[in-house]
Amino acid sequence: MAGGNYKKIFKDGIWNDNPIFRQVIGICSTLAVTNLMMNSLIMGLAVIFTIAFSELTVSIIRKFTPRHVRMIVQVLIISVYVIIVDIFLKAYYPEMSKALGPYVGLIITNCILMGRCEGFAQNNPPIRSFLDGIASGLGYTFILLAVSFIRELFGFGSIFGIKVLGDWWTNWTIMVMPPSAFFILGVIVWWARSKTEEKEKEKEGGRALS
Amino acid sequence: MSNIKDKFYYPVLVMVIITAIFTFILAWLNDITEEVIALNEETELRRKILYVFNIDVPSDEPEDIERVFNEHVKTQEVGDETIYYMEEDGEVVAYAFPVDGIALWGSLSAYVGISADYSELLGLEFIRHSETPGLGGRIDEAWFKEQFRGLDLTEGQEGEYVIYKPAIGGNVDAIAGATQTSNAVRDIINKGIYDFISQGRSDT
Repeated sequence: MAGGNYKKIFKDGIWNDNPIFRQVIGICSTLAVTNLMMNSLIMGLAVIFTIAFSELTVSIIRKFTPRHVRMIVQVLIISVYVIIVDIFLKAYYPEMSKALGPYVGLIITNCILMGRCEGFAQNNPPIRSFLDGIASGLGYTFILLAVSFIRELFGFGSIFGIKVLGDWWTNWTIMVMPPSAFFILGVIVWWARSKTEEKEKEKEGGRALS
Repeated sequence: MSNIKDKFYYPVLVMVIITAIFTFILAWLNDITEEVIALNEETELRRKILYVFNIDVPSDEPEDIERVFNEHVKTQEVGDETIYYMEEDGEVVAYAFPVDGIALWGSLSAYVGISADYSELLGLEFIRHSETPGLGGRIDEAWFKEQFRGLDLTEGQEGEYVIYKPAIGGNVDAIAGATQTSNAVRDIINKGIYDFISQGRSDT
């Protein structure tokens, strides 16, 4: 457990065990906030922050936490960091806070956080847990950005709010609506899975669904 | 250490301590950011009221917005709502009042500005709504809101002030693909103006 291959943590979080397309958790927010790239980026950063510090805290106090109340403690810790993010956005990025609306608060219910706290931080030392949080958050953020890149490009003709397609471009309304995220995410999961198909036969683990 | 962990009250003790620590952290954070958040919300509302009155804001700085706002706009509480009015040479020239109602996906609230003689619609700004982004949500776009500036209210029969083209007497374009939201917005505005004028809520 000690020592630890940090490179592996990042490789797992971003690719091998990517929360979205490998573990298929945290889907709800992927569908909800990916209509603009800026929203996705801020959402991703918020999740990275929350997940990393939640894992760090859970890991630090894991030795004192009685086994049968550990989940309550985890939820408590996650909520605290989510509220911190929410307050921070409201105070210093009111525009972004408005755009993300209730989804910042809903990070609490994002399965990735609970999953990583319970599955990783509970059994690993603080530094490793912190890095695992960043890695999982990055994995989540990359998928969000990939989905929102396609949605914003076709739905608004822009990237990060900057017009890239000219006036001739007719916006695809479907891309702005949540259902389009289903299709795009499906294609991304398909693509990613086909890339790792051989490996999959070797290691068959339990899959959680959020 | 292993002793106390076996006690039945240990989990309770841990939960109480952890909860207390985190609650204090949040309370402290809330306390130091309270003013900033309140200022942000106030600035946002001021900016919207200025937009309703079609007054240009020199910059996005909260101080500038507050200065311009205080120069032009006065506030009055009527019942449980706030009405804003603009004065020129000691005379009231325009009112901005809240209107609300149900749109397609949820409640919608806005401020409508009309001239003091009730003859002209000066502007419109949405405070809160939950319409579909990219469809009904386009009511937030400038081209839609700008259409309402300068509408003649004297021609409106029985509260039909806003009429979508190409109907007879139409004066505003609806949003293509968002008919229900457009209609809801029209009805909310028409009813709001009608109520305001007929009830004379503007008693100052």
